[in-house]
Parts: sequence; structure tokens; C-alpha cells
Amino acid sequence: MNSSNSNNGESNNGKSSSFDSLNQDLGLYFLELARLGSSKAPTDMEEDEEEAPKELNTINSSGGFLVVAPDKLSVKYPTINLHGHDVGVIQADKPVPVKRLLYYFEIYVKNAGAKGQIAIGFTNEGFKMRRQPGWEVNSCGYHGDDGFLYHGQGKGDAFGPTYTAGDTVGGGINYASQEFFFTKNGALVGTVSGEKEMKSRLFPTIAVHSQNEEVHVNFGQKKFAFDLKEYEAQERLKQQMTIEKIALPPNISYGLVRSYLLHYGYEDTLKSFDLASKSTIPPIYIAQENGFDEQDIVYALNQRKILRQLIRNGKIDAAISKLRDWYPQLVQDDKSATCFLLHCQKFIELVRVGALEEAVKYGRIELAKFFELTNFEYLVQDCVALLAYVRPQESSVGYLLEESQRDLVADTVNAMILSTNPNMKDMQGCLQSYLERLLRQLTACCLERRSANGDQGEAFHLHRVLNSGGNLKC
Amino acid sequence: MMPLFWIVSRQLAEIAEQMATSKKVITREEWEKRLNDVKIRKEDMNKLVMNFLVTEGYVEVAEKFRMESGTQPDIDLATITDRMAVKKAVQCGNVEDAIEKVNDLNPEILDTNPQIFFHLQQQRLIELIRNGKVEEALEFAQEELAPRGEENQSFLEELERTVSLLAFEDVSNCPVGELLDMSQRLKTASEVNAAILTSQSHEKDPKLPSLLKMLIWAQNQLDEKAAYPRINDLLNATLEDPAV
Repeated sequence: MNSSNSNNGESNNGKSSSFDSLNQDLGLYFLELARLGSSKAPTDMEEDEEEAPKELNTINSSGGFLVVAPDKLSVKYPTINLHGHDVGVIQADKPVPVKRLLYYFEIYVKNAGAKGQIAIGFTNEGFKMRRQPGWEVNSCGYHGDDGFLYHGQGKGDAFGPTYTAGDTVGGGINYASQEFFFTKNGALVGTVSGEKEMKSRLFPTIAVHSQNEEVHVNFGQKKFAFDLKEYEAQERLKQQMTIEKIALPPNISYGLVRSYLLHYGYEDTLKSFDLASKSTIPPIYIAQENGFDEQDIVYALNQRKILRQLIRNGKIDAAISKLRDWYPQLVQDDKSATCFLLHCQKFIELVRVGALEEAVKYGRIELAKFFELTNFEYLVQDCVALLAYVRPQESSVGYLLEESQRDLVADTVNAMILSTNPNMKDMQGCLQSYLERLLRQLTACCLERRSANGDQGEAFHLHRVLNSGGNLKC
Repeated sequence: MMPLFWIVSRQLAEIAEQMATSKKVITREEWEKRLNDVKIRKEDMNKLVMNFLVTEGYVEVAEKFRMESGTQPDIDLATITDRMAVKKAVQCGNVEDAIEKVNDLNPEILDTNPQIFFHLQQQRLIELIRNGKVEEALEFAQEELAPRGEENQSFLEELERTVSLLAFEDVSNCPVGELLDMSQRLKTASEVNAAILTSQSHEKDPKLPSLLKMLIWAQNQLDEKAAYPRINDLLNATLEDPAV
């Protein structure tokens, strides 16, 4: 009896869940997941796609009022200035990237010229390229001659020290605090609110305004004088400290780890975990309000454990045989995603031990029929491609030979068994542990929040958090 | 009776105001689609769980999880056993034993953490008082703790608080009675545990609770801008329809 056939769509008041659309073949969910590992998968490192400024933009700069070096990384003011509308202003070639916590760049004042009227800051697209950054709306600038900060009008505010030849001055944007910050010779000078300006697309900008002034710019190609990484870490820490103060329900982490172990059928770990919780001081009791929920997941725990072990050890035939004994309905339809994944894995295991002829035979019998089917095509192709290489593990389809692929098949079988539980309320319960749902919710909330903030700031990536060795970011 | 013109324009003004202050509404269907688009790797979730087991010091559990899932612990499991022995010793009130074990592990830990060393000594004093060894307690306080109190004002205050336990017949009712609680031992044990982890260049806190806090925080932040399905019951991860 296959209870997963009960149509959840009907009981949802017409609201369809993405799981219904799988048409009760839960295996398809994992087939899609497998794509993540393949070379055709879109990466989620969208932040890396944002282009960063590399050099100065010679096309829209103030024409005759400055001279740009051939490498587009330094400028000079050639003549004598006459008034406030002959500033030599130049922007970077690309706008400031926004999908990150901070952006920063520096200038080095080679020559302060006649009056040292140098500025560093940010200006919007369409800025009047003959005015100092900060003198017009939607711009901001830290000026070297008076040490003032200008943002939006000709009158500025006292901000920091003046700067001149030999100084390295930096300008940056902090998306978390929505502020501009400036540095001089490696030390932070100060911050100022930039909420208004940040609504526009901003460009890193530098300006020179008196004869012989010369400024070099560094967009990160060279080491900064300011310790940006340290500053970034400090800013992250601030946010982290606010978050750390939030109270959690007692023992929730234990509860979630426990339900994770139950969900995936890690039976031995679970038993050991329960034992350890009891002997902790004080002993951990996890409130099981939904006692019957647990019944659902304790379901077939031992069988799921056994099957996972078999699959993780590459013993696919044994796994299929056990499934035929215990859950024949799951391997009945040879065209189901579950059967397909198992067949693919068998094929992969044959390739792994070098039994290529046998693999080919097996492929002809079991995999060929999937070539025409849309969802399955990519995986068949990738599997067969393994045959083409002397060292397939180093090829673009090498991911199939990794443990993660075996684990994915094990997860599929696990989910399918859970779906045979008559008490299972919804399909999502078979596919995702509570922990996973929380992590998805966290990711989605951070993305939406960023989107609501004009797409500025960082998104949440579990992978980054785990490999960063510490600082959590959102 | 108001002219129709005024009624209509007032209604329009109300609608305009609602639109300006109303939040974006994201339907359940749309939100579930977004949830589904999120890419979470199984290996990463395994790592998160392993990190939790290891930081909390569950050696056997971590070992079993390694075997069943193939996840590598991010710290040498052998060091966990030592650390847990220290923690247990403090939790049971065997402070001298704990101090010896910490020094065996890494003598620099107590050298570079005077506060933790003081708290351990303080716990020793508390245990002496708890066991009615008044003379020994006083001697210990004067010889070992008082010199540290002289160097540090907050140590001195702590010392005085602890010694004041001796002034009361009925310690369960006195103002500093909490020092005799289990919670005091746990607090010190936790401190020592963290110091050991840090000395081993491992983070002292598991990542999982921080992520859960971040979820609560992210939802609270998003509440200001949008109405969307929330998860209020973390343990069961139930998605609730947006309040419209």
C-alpha cells in the first residue's frame, strides 16, 4: 500500500505546494538535487559575479581638466584652476559592487600641487564631472585641503585631518550600517551616514583641482594601507553580538540534531546521542509535544540504517534486494526516479572498480531506456561519459564517483521509505529534516531582506559560514 | 452631508496612505517556491551537526556519526575526551583534579587566563565551605586567593562574597547562597571548556545555536518590510501563513 498516493493537493485548500507537483514521485526531488553536483549546475556564488571597479573611467571624466595616465590608475591636474567648476573629477570604470558587507578603495597623493585640493569619495551616475565629489546631491567626498566631509552641498562638515603629499587615503561603504567610512594612512578617520546617497548607483571617485596635483588610485590590485579584513571582522562581530543576545527555547539545538539523526536514519548515532544527553550535567530532556511526530520518523529506523550502510559501501545489488523484500512497492516501477538512481549508482560502482565491459552491458540493459526522458537525461549522459576517461575521477563527471553521490542515493531511498509510513502527514516530511527547513527559511529571509534594501549587503550561505571558520554574516 | 467629491478624495487618500505604509505581501505559494530554490548541501548540514557534537564534547556520538555519515570531525576526537574529563571534574566539584588535568593538557591555558584560574580557585573554596571544612577554607582563602584579590578589584569582590558564606548558619537562605548552587559549578566548567577549545584554535561555541538566533533575527528584521510565512515553532519548523 502506497500511502503517498493520497493527494495532498486537495487537502490544501487549493494552495499547491511544490512537492505536489512532483506527482508523488519523490525520487525526482533527489534527481534534481544531484544536478547540484554536476558541472551544469548554476553556482550560488552570485556575489562573485558582480564586477568590481578595476581602473578609472576615461570616457566620462572631466575632459580637459585632468590628465589620466595610460594605466588608468593615476591622474594629474595640468593647469591653473580658475573657479569651482573646473575640478578634474574622474570615476571608476564600474559602480561599487553592492552584494557584500563592505567596499573600499584607496588613493595615494603623489603631489599636492599648488593648493592640495584633492578629494576622494563616491558619486552617482550622471554626476557633474566638474564639481568636487560631495558638492552635489547624491555624492560624498572627503577633501584633503580642509579635512571636511561634503555630502550633497557646497558646505561641508568638519570630519577629520587634512591630507597631502605622501598620504594614503581610503574611502569605503558599509552596507550593514549604511555608512561611508574614510581612512588616512591605515587608520580609520570616521564614518558618516550614507542612506540617502546609497539609494543611487555610486562610483568610486577621485578629484584634483590645483596645478600639479597628482593622485594614484588602488582598487585592490595592491595591498591596502588600511587593514580592511580586520575592519570587516570587527563590523561582523558587532552584528554577531546583537544576534547572540537573542534567547532560544531551551535545548532546541539538541532537539533539532536529534530529529536530523532520526530523519536520515542514523540509528547508531541517535542511540549514542540519547545516551549522552542523559548523562550530561544537567541531563537534557527535549520536550516532545508532538509525540506522534516522532513515531513517524522512528518508523523503519533500523531498515533505513541498513540500507544507507549498504549504499554508502557501494553494495547496490544487496540494497535493491533488501528493498524488494521490505518495500517492493518502491522498486516496482522500473521507470521511477528511485530505480533510476539505483541503476545509475550500480553503473557507477562498476566503473569505479574498472569493470568497464560489465558496466557497458549493464548500461545497455538498465540505463538506455532513460535516454529519452527529460528529467533523467542529464544523469544518463554524465554516467556514460565516465567511460570516456582513463581517470574519470578527474574529469568533469568525476563528481559521480564521490561519496556524496552515494549519499544522495541513500537519502533518496530513505525518503521513499518514509513516504510509506501511513502516518506521514505531508511529503515535505519525507524530504527535508526540520533543520533543513530552518536553514532554508534563514536563507530566504536574508535574501528577501537584502532585496528590500535595494539588494545591498550580504546574503546567507551555509557553505561559507561552515568554511569561514567563524564569523557568521547576514 | 458631505459632497461626493470629498468622500471619494478622502478614500483615495486613505488608500494612498495604506499603500505607502503597507508591507509587501508574499504569498505562501511564492514563498515556498523561494524556499525550494535555496541550495543546501547535505554535506554542509552534516558538518553543522558534527560541529555541534564535537564542540559539546560528545566523543562517542561524534565517532558514530563519522562512521554512519562519513563526515570528518573538525577537531581531533582524542582531544575531546581530555577536555570532557576536565569539564566533568569541575561539574562534580573535584577542582584540584580539574586543575591538574588542565595543566596536563596545556599549562599555558591557566597561565594566560587569570580569570579562569581565579574562578577555579574560588570554586575550590566554595567546595571546602560546602563540606564544612572551615579552617581549611580560611587558610586557603588567605594564602591562595587573597593575593590575587589584591591585584584585581573584581577578584577581591568575588573573594569577599565567597568568604561571606561562612557568616551564615543557614546558607540556603543567605544572599550569596547561589554560589553553592550547581549553576556556579556549571558556569566555571563552561568557562574552562571554552578556554581549552580556544587554546586548541577551535571556536568555543557550536555554530548551530547562532544560526537559529540568526533566523529569529532575520525574521524580525524582515517583518518590518514584508508579510510572509514565518516559522515561529523552531522545533517543528512549521511554516505559518502570512498575516494579511
